Amino acid sequence: MEHSVLDADEALSPASVGMTAAVDAQTSHLVEVWGDTVDIRHLAWSVALGIGISLGAFFSANYFLALYVHDAAMTRAYAMLVGLAGCLIAGAVCAKLFKPKRVVVDQSSDTARREEVLDQLAGEAGGLGFVSDLPLAVATEMKELGLYDVFLKHEQRIDASKRALDEGRVTTDAIEENTSKESS
Amino acid sequence: MDALAHQVLVAVSMGLIGAIVFAGIGLISGTDETTTLAPLTLLVALLGVPPAGVFTFFMAGAVAKHMTHAIPTALLGIPGDTLAAPLLQQATMLRNLGVPHIALRKMISGAIIAAFVAVPLAVLFAVLLAPFGPSISKAAPWVFLAAAVAIAYFSSGRWASVLLLVPFVLVIVGLQALTGKYGVKLSVSYFLGIAIGPLIADLFSILSPADRATMRRDRVKTFSLAPDVKSWSGYFPNPLKVLDRTQRNWTIATAAVSSATFVFSPVAMTVVMGELVGSRIKHAYHRLTTVIAARNGVTEATYIAEALIPLIAFGLPLSPVAAGPAAPLFNAPPRFFVDTATGHMNNLHTLMTSWEFLGYGLASVVLAALIAYPFSMNYAHRAASFVARRLSHEAIIATFAGLIVVISVWEGQLLGFLVIVTIGLLGGLLSRRFGFNTGVQFMGYYAAVLSVPALTKLIA
Repeated sequence: MEHSVLDADEALSPASVGMTAAVDAQTSHLVEVWGDTVDIRHLAWSVALGIGISLGAFFSANYFLALYVHDAAMTRAYAMLVGLAGCLIAGAVCAKLFKPKRVVVDQSSDTARREEVLDQLAGEAGGLGFVSDLPLAVATEMKELGLYDVFLKHEQRIDASKRALDEGRVTTDAIEENTSKESS
Repeated sequence: MDALAHQVLVAVSMGLIGAIVFAGIGLISGTDETTTLAPLTLLVALLGVPPAGVFTFFMAGAVAKHMTHAIPTALLGIPGDTLAAPLLQQATMLRNLGVPHIALRKMISGAIIAAFVAVPLAVLFAVLLAPFGPSISKAAPWVFLAAAVAIAYFSSGRWASVLLLVPFVLVIVGLQALTGKYGVKLSVSYFLGIAIGPLIADLFSILSPADRATMRRDRVKTFSLAPDVKSWSGYFPNPLKVLDRTQRNWTIATAAVSSATFVFSPVAMTVVMGELVGSRIKHAYHRLTTVIAARNGVTEATYIAEALIPLIAFGLPLSPVAAGPAAPLFNAPPRFFVDTATGHMNNLHTLMTSWEFLGYGLASVVLAALIAYPFSMNYAHRAASFVARRLSHEAIIATFAGLIVVISVWEGQLLGFLVIVTIGLLGGLLSRRFGFNTGVQFMGYYAAVLSVPALTKLIA
């Protein structure tokens, strides 16, 4: 968590009452726009700055270029280029002013997650498969990544539980048979 | 000879610029190809860059962006853009297995191989289709109408999208009549309005208290960034050795098949081809890595073919990619234009030969690979971390708000701005509510411009 952005730190730390009030003030302004979370006040400013800076750049370029270049179409094309540079400047200004509303966690792989994926893969069409079927190159690649044994173990476990299940079914069948005989 | 050397020099430097700019843009997830490639390519065309330079800028940009968008997909679990969405499932599984770098390397290597397969094959298919070019251009109004209906039916809106074409086209025709009264002719504004429609619709929603309630969030989103793992010696690994033989063969085969198709959506092709490959591989790990390589190869190949085949064979934007991101290669008035009424055409189709397309196309792929591949291999983690931690969504929205206003005012002053907001709002809402996606909307625009005049002539 140590690298998470400032705003997120505030939102996550359980600290004092004053802190919580600040968090409330912030969270009540969070909205999802165009696929990510923004603060609605920052959003208003960034739209205003985006339009203001880029349009300002475009119009002033158009005005000053017209004094030197006499081809109107060329002037406008270059003014557009300046206007686009204005868009990037607006973006840079807003990036400086407004911090991202995201928590970024450095995730290291853990065993629980791995097991989850393995279960998911085993449940898919085609199943987990057997490491013994693998071409040599793939087996080597998996060994280098430390995944060979992980898959092998999971495969054995599935096999074992399947066998246990089969045996269980046999015993239950036998018991059922017995009980049905007794009842008749 | 001097002229040729000059042309090659311009093409190579424009390709380099495209590769560098779009390798950077690819890192920012959510930046759609249409919203970024189309306006910048248009700008390059309008500034008077020679045709070969416009072409290499577009191609190298598209291929480089396609490589770097694998970084947020593999490391952060968020799709780099719409094309990366079908790869997310495999990428997330590999990430959770603790091998995100494998996902990234397989994706990018698949893309490079597919790009080298797709360029020559797309040119070949285009040359085979070219004899039908004149008759297709003559029938263009009807071909576009049929393509619009087909693409609408295959969108997630199905029949709703097909029927929605009628009101949508009607609105465009009406807006054109209005701006025509004041002597303003718009085209780029429609494209950009359609492409950024979802943002415009969201900005309207946020102003309405009723809609704002549904958009409120009580917490920020959490992203988990996968760790950095470098497991090769030297500057970057050999892309051919990253994939094993099965993976290379599947990537080449699926790329070859998808290079021949140019009317389907790249996302649909990717899903279908991925299922096909996945069903043939026995082991789950091998299946994950093979499917992710092949799928990324298919998105690359379909993308290239959809831009190249209509460009070389017909000169008419007859595919979702050609109608969207690649539109300025066909139509960048006043420099490039298509006039279906007279059959007159002046764009890259008439300005470049098939051999030039092949040569400059391959050169673009090489340039993109030289820039984006070593970058992704060495700086993926740092780049993803920087973008996620330092670049706020507000900054991205500011940039696009500026883009909408500058482009529309440049093209049509106040009228341009009004049109871009109208079409963006309408398109964004229709896409959100009915699955009438941007690809269908682009075809709707072409139907309004090309098919409607022919239809009215037929009825009158």
